[in-house]
Parts: sequence; C-alpha cells; structure tokens
Amino acid sequence: MTEIKKQITRFKKKFNFNSKKEVIDFLVRTFFLLSTILSASFIVIIIIFIAQKGVIPFVTDNDGIGRVNLWKFLTGLDWLKGTAFKSNLYGVGFIIINTLYISFFALLISMPIGVLTALFIAKIAPKKIAEFLRTVVELLAAVPSIVYGLFGSGLILTLVYNLAKIFGVQSKGGNSVLAVILVLALMILPTITALSEVAIRSVNKDIEHGSLALGATRTQTNFKVVLSSAKSGIFSAAILGLGRALGEATAVSLVAGNARSGPSLAFFEITSTLTSTMLQGLKETIGIDYDIRFSVGLVLMVVILFSNLTLNFIKKKVGNVDVK
Amino acid sequence: MNNVFNIKNLDLFYDDFQALKNIDLDVEKNKVTALIGPSGCGKSTFIRCLNRMNDLIPSCKIEGNIQYHKEDIYDDNYDVIGLRTDVGMVFQSPNPFPMSIYDNVAYGPRCAGNKNKDKLDKIVENSLKKAALYDEVKDRMNDSAMGLSGGQQQRLCIARAIAMEPEVILMDEPTSALDPIATLKIEELINDLKENYTIVIVTHSMQQAARISDKTAFFLMGELIEVDETDKIFTQPSNQKTEDYITGRFG
Ligand SMILES: Nc1ncnc2c1ncn2[C@@H]1O[C@H](COP(=O)(O)OP(=O)(O)OP(=O)(O)O)[C@@H](O)[C@H]1O
Ligand SMILES: [Mg+2]
Repeated sequence: MTEIKKQITRFKKKFNFNSKKEVIDFLVRTFFLLSTILSASFIVIIIIFIAQKGVIPFVTDNDGIGRVNLWKFLTGLDWLKGTAFKSNLYGVGFIIINTLYISFFALLISMPIGVLTALFIAKIAPKKIAEFLRTVVELLAAVPSIVYGLFGSGLILTLVYNLAKIFGVQSKGGNSVLAVILVLALMILPTITALSEVAIRSVNKDIEHGSLALGATRTQTNFKVVLSSAKSGIFSAAILGLGRALGEATAVSLVAGNARSGPSLAFFEITSTLTSTMLQGLKETIGIDYDIRFSVGLVLMVVILFSNLTLNFIKKKVGNVDVK
Repeated sequence: MNNVFNIKNLDLFYDDFQALKNIDLDVEKNKVTALIGPSGCGKSTFIRCLNRMNDLIPSCKIEGNIQYHKEDIYDDNYDVIGLRTDVGMVFQSPNPFPMSIYDNVAYGPRCAGNKNKDKLDKIVENSLKKAALYDEVKDRMNDSAMGLSGGQQQRLCIARAIAMEPEVILMDEPTSALDPIATLKIEELINDLKENYTIVIVTHSMQQAARISDKTAFFLMGELIEVDETDKIFTQPSNQKTEDYITGRFG
C-alpha cells in the first residue's frame, strides 16, 4: 500500500502534479490533443494520397504516352482538344480562371442578398417570423447539392436559355456561365445568410443602445453600427461560402456544359470548372486520364487555399475590431 | 423654478411586475441630480424613462406623465429621435463603437445629417476637449476606439454624447466599471460639465453622490422615498428609511 503511494508521489513529482485535480486536467488535455492529432492526420493523409496520385502524370512517362509538362498543364487553354491522344493535351489554365470567375460572381450575388436577409431576420423581423425564417434558412443550408443541381438543370437552364434568346444568343440549352453562377449563388446563399445572421445577432446590445441613445434611427443603427460590428463574422461567412462555391462539383456539372477550351467569360457561353472537369468521366477512364484528375484536385486545393488566404488577409485589414 | 423634467405619478410595469410606483420628481436645470438606492430599486429603470430607452423593452408599460420642457414625452406624436439628441446617455459599461475615435464622436452628428468635414472636425475636437480626453487621443484620432483604456473609453462615450450638444446627460453608474483614478477623472469631469449641462446620475457610491451632486433622490423598492438638496439628505434626511440607508444600516 505505501509502495503504491510512493509510486504516485514519484509520478506526481516527475510531472509536477500537486493534486488530483491537476492529474485529471492533464489527462483531459491529453485526450483533446489526441483527438486533434487524429482529425489533423486525416487531412494530412488525404492530401498525401491525392498528391501521390496527382504527381504521377508529371514524373512518369505514363505508360509510354509521355510526361506531362507542369507549366503547360497549369497555363494551358485547352483540355483534351486534338485529333490524337497525347500527353500534352491537358491544360487547366482556363479552368482555373473559369472557376475563380464563376465563384466571384456567385459570391457577388449572394453576399448582399444574404447579409441583408440576415439583418432582416436578426434585427427587423418580429420574433415569430424571425424564428420561422431561421428554420427555413437552416433547412436550405442542409439541402444536398445534387438537389440544387436538379433544380438548376430543370428550371435555371430553361430560364437562362430563354434569357439568352431575348438577347439573341443561341445558348447550348442554357448550359452556361450564367447558369452555374445562379446555381452556386442559390446554393451558398443559405450558408452565408445563416452565418451572417449569427454574427449580427451576437453583436453586443450595448453598442446598439449606444447608437439609439444618440438619436440615430433603427436603420442608421443597423447599417452603421450593427453591420460594422459584425464585419468579421460576415467575412467568415463569405470565406465559407466561397469555399463551398469553389468546391462544388455535382450541381455545377449539371449546368456547366463542359467546355474544353476557354476561359469562358461571356455569360451565355458554356464553361467548365476544376470540379466539373474532375468529375467528367471519372468512372470510365484509366491511366493518365485518371491520374490527371488528381492533379486537378491538387490545383483546386491550392486555389481554395489561396483564395482563403486572400479573404482572410482582407478580413484582417478591414474587420480588425474585437467587439466585446 | 427652472425645471427640465417634470415627472408626475409615474408607474412602470415589466409585464405584471411594478418596478416604479407613483414617482413624482422634478429635475432642475444645470444641476446634478444623483439617484441612489439599493440594487433592484428601479434607478436604471427610472433613468431610462427620461430618454425613452425603455421603449426597447417590449414588456415595459408606462403610466403617468413625464414632461420635458412641459411637453409630454410619452405622447404618441412626440419626436423620440429629437428627445434623444437633447437628452444624451452614458451607460454603465463603456460601449464605444468598433470604429475610430474620430468616427465615434462624429457618429451622432453624422446621423443627424451633419456632413460638413470642417464642422465635424470642430465638433469632434471640442467634444473631446470638454470630455477631458483630447490631449490623450489627439495624435491617434484614426485609431480604433477599442484600443483605449476603460476610463478613456468612458470619457469617449461622454464626448460622444456631448457632440450632440444635449441639454441633459443621463449617466447610469458611469464609473462602476472603472478603477479609482479613472473614477476620479470622470467625477472631475462631471463637476466641469454641470455649468453647461443638466446631469442625472445613478450611483451606488454614496460618497460619489455626496461629492458631485446638488440634489439626491433616494429610491427603495420602486418608490421614491425622498428627494432633497444633497447636503440635507446626507446630514439630516427627513425620512427614517433614508437615514438607515445612508448610514449603512441596510441595503
Ligand atoms: N427588462 C426587464 N424585464 C423585467 N424586469 C426588469 C427588467 N429590467 C429590470 N427589471 C426589474 O425591475 C427592477 C428594477 O430594476 P433596475 O435595473 O431599474 O434596478 P436598479 O436600481 O438599476 O438596480 P442596480 O443598482 O442593480 O442597477 C428589478 O427588480 C429588476 O429585476
Ligand atoms: Mg441599474
């Protein structure tokens, strides 16, 4: 018995523990650390796996077809366009531009709508209506992307097709830059609204009251004080929305039209994104044509990383306020 | 008598709970009126009636009559925005807006439609001077107000209120979140301000009330027990309950 006690004291001394509480605290912290390491290692494993496959086209001769030139791949303006199958047919330069271009416009549409809706729900709507709207937004955010894709190919394509006709443009059944932008804007709108709403709702009431007590109107208070206090949270909403837009594949594939060259900047042109290119025929192909999709995946991850860093940088610049 | 506010038979309810009972009180111009009383007696509730901030609490119902310059401020047609520009408020914990020091002070005038840069500069400078903050911040007007110390933030909030050129400034325990030195600064400031402004201040510190106020009102459980010259309240109160409170026998 005393031996055990001695052991415990020695253990405590060794780790500088002074009480049972500290031991428990140590164990709990270790547990948290382990779970963090576990989830972080998943990300690392995924990246390693994709990277391993993704570099194959650039470092092997791809079963005699030939090595892919990395620079040509990154800057190329055609994807598999040519008479004979060769290793130099893969280029994603225009697809990168398409992807960024489309995501930018999707964000441009859904940010103002989302933030204003959030403001309405958080500050203006009567309690009951606000609660109802909040539920609706949360449900919409949980709708799987394929459903947005079906909605897009069923309704938005027709809409865009007819719109193009009015402008005297013959679109490919509505498959177009505009269709993708609209589907993505719709899809990220609930995410942006829900997150902005939380950010707006958590603005300290004191600040709002301070504004009203100065004789500011409700509207002035909402726009000048509440929104600027929620800036940082609203930016986070934009970052997540952009991430979702950049990474969405299924819905986009259904309305993009799968362009093989570009970039497609006109709104009624067909287009393609990094994700739709990866998805296109993934199940029916082998060899370099299969491996190259992992390379596209790598490119996508880098694109997402950089756009996140950019937005985070802007967020730090403009939203640099800690609201108590 | 030169009264700014005349309050008659004021009853206030939060749903069924009566927080203020039949209050009669006059607020004199260019005087400091202190409201004292134990926690929960209705001081904050009362002071919020004077610029209608209680409107923001849905459950709050008001009966009776509050006149500001002989006009009933709870009249349906009364201009609440106008009232709040004439009757400024400083809150218990400093609540600067998350923007620059300059923008904080210019906020009120801007909301009131003042767009002239030169005029705003003047207003900001004067307000900060009156709030005894100018020298400390004149070189960093464009820095975020969130970087100021608690005491500086509170003086900024006072400057923000002054920028509207109010007649009355309501202060709800303005020093309760501050250390003794910052508190002293605010008290000195209040002494300077009372020449030009009418001040109603809630305080938990009886010494503070004695130091800075001309008149003191003692509240207890929603009732106004006694209001008189501060000297008189603290030396020979006419009500036994007041005497018990100021001598620390309860509360
Ligand atoms: N929003 C509200 N809803 C319901 N009851 C309230 C509300 N605000 C205050 N009360 C109640 O009204 C009474 C008076 O509150 P008030 O805040 O005016 O007291 P106080 O004198 O300012 O107290 P303290 O010195 O602690 O600040 C208290 O019993 C309080 O619980
Ligand atoms: Mg109070």
